[in-house]
Amino acid sequence: MKIRNQSAASKIEIPMAPMIDVVFQLLIFFMLTLKIVEPEGDFDINMPIGAPAQSAVTDADLPPFKVRMEAEPGSGQLRQLYFNGNPLGTGEGAFQLLNSEVLKGVNALKATGPGNLDKQEVEIDPDYGLNYEFIISAISACSGKMVDGKMVRYISRIKFAPIRDKQE
Amino acid sequence: MTPMIDVVFQLLSFFMMISNFEQDKADERVTLPKDKLARPPVVKRESSFTLNFGFDRDKDGRIVDTTAYVFDGDQKFTIESVRGRLRQEAAFYRALGKDIADVTVEIRADAAVKSGQVQDLIQMCQENDIAFQRFALKATQKSEF
Repeated sequence: MKIRNQSAASKIEIPMAPMIDVVFQLLIFFMLTLKIVEPEGDFDINMPIGAPAQSAVTDADLPPFKVRMEAEPGSGQLRQLYFNGNPLGTGEGAFQLLNSEVLKGVNALKATGPGNLDKQEVEIDPDYGLNYEFIISAISACSGKMVDGKMVRYISRIKFAPIRDKQE
Repeated sequence: MTPMIDVVFQLLSFFMMISNFEQDKADERVTLPKDKLARPPVVKRESSFTLNFGFDRDKDGRIVDTTAYVFDGDQKFTIESVRGRLRQEAAFYRALGKDIADVTVEIRADAAVKSGQVQDLIQMCQENDIAFQRFALKATQKSEF
């Protein structure tokens, strides 16, 4: 018959070496596969060209906000930004102006009815040669604003106008 | 021995936690535009695929070829030749039995590509035999101002 106290008295050695080997392998794997990348985000866009969305018919009475962007020929820099036909200038200030113009539009929409804001679309209409970064700036200016680290959303439905000719 | 194992485990869990395998689809040649409002989607997309659209760059990040390409691993396609690849992708999702309307095309386009080319790419994705409908434009979250 076995006596329990006997086994408890003799100390069992856990083999540490294999475990440390494996842990080091894992550590080295994760260290080498580490890739430091800046966090990415995205903007959803509505594209009714190929498959007309059902909403396109119901929203016909609510004309889209039109954001027109002209490019400098050759360089692709922004030459002029327009909101519903009104010139807003160029550079960072133009996008801030666009942001406040969209806010005015959003406030006017809120006054007309609660559901109207969700139906409102923004149509981005750039020159063919315009650098893509300005598209993102324009989409950002239309979609909202950061206030105290939180995003206040203006308009979430954004689409592109038909493509312009390459020569323009 | 015990303190060393403690430290090693701490390191291991640190690297495991910050490893992000999700962004493996990103191509380093593409320099995304920066914007402070760019946010990851609140609800994770069920199915999506990424189009990396940018320029060949040298080690210092300078553009060596002004033609914009769609990068797909080792392969690269001009905007005119990418149609076949998009058809393949659409056929893949159809073969899986997924509704093509639920698949989001995430466009990682370089800040310096022509916006008309991005529009061309989107239009190509919407053609009858491809028919993707959902699109998202990527940007890095950091802002310069």
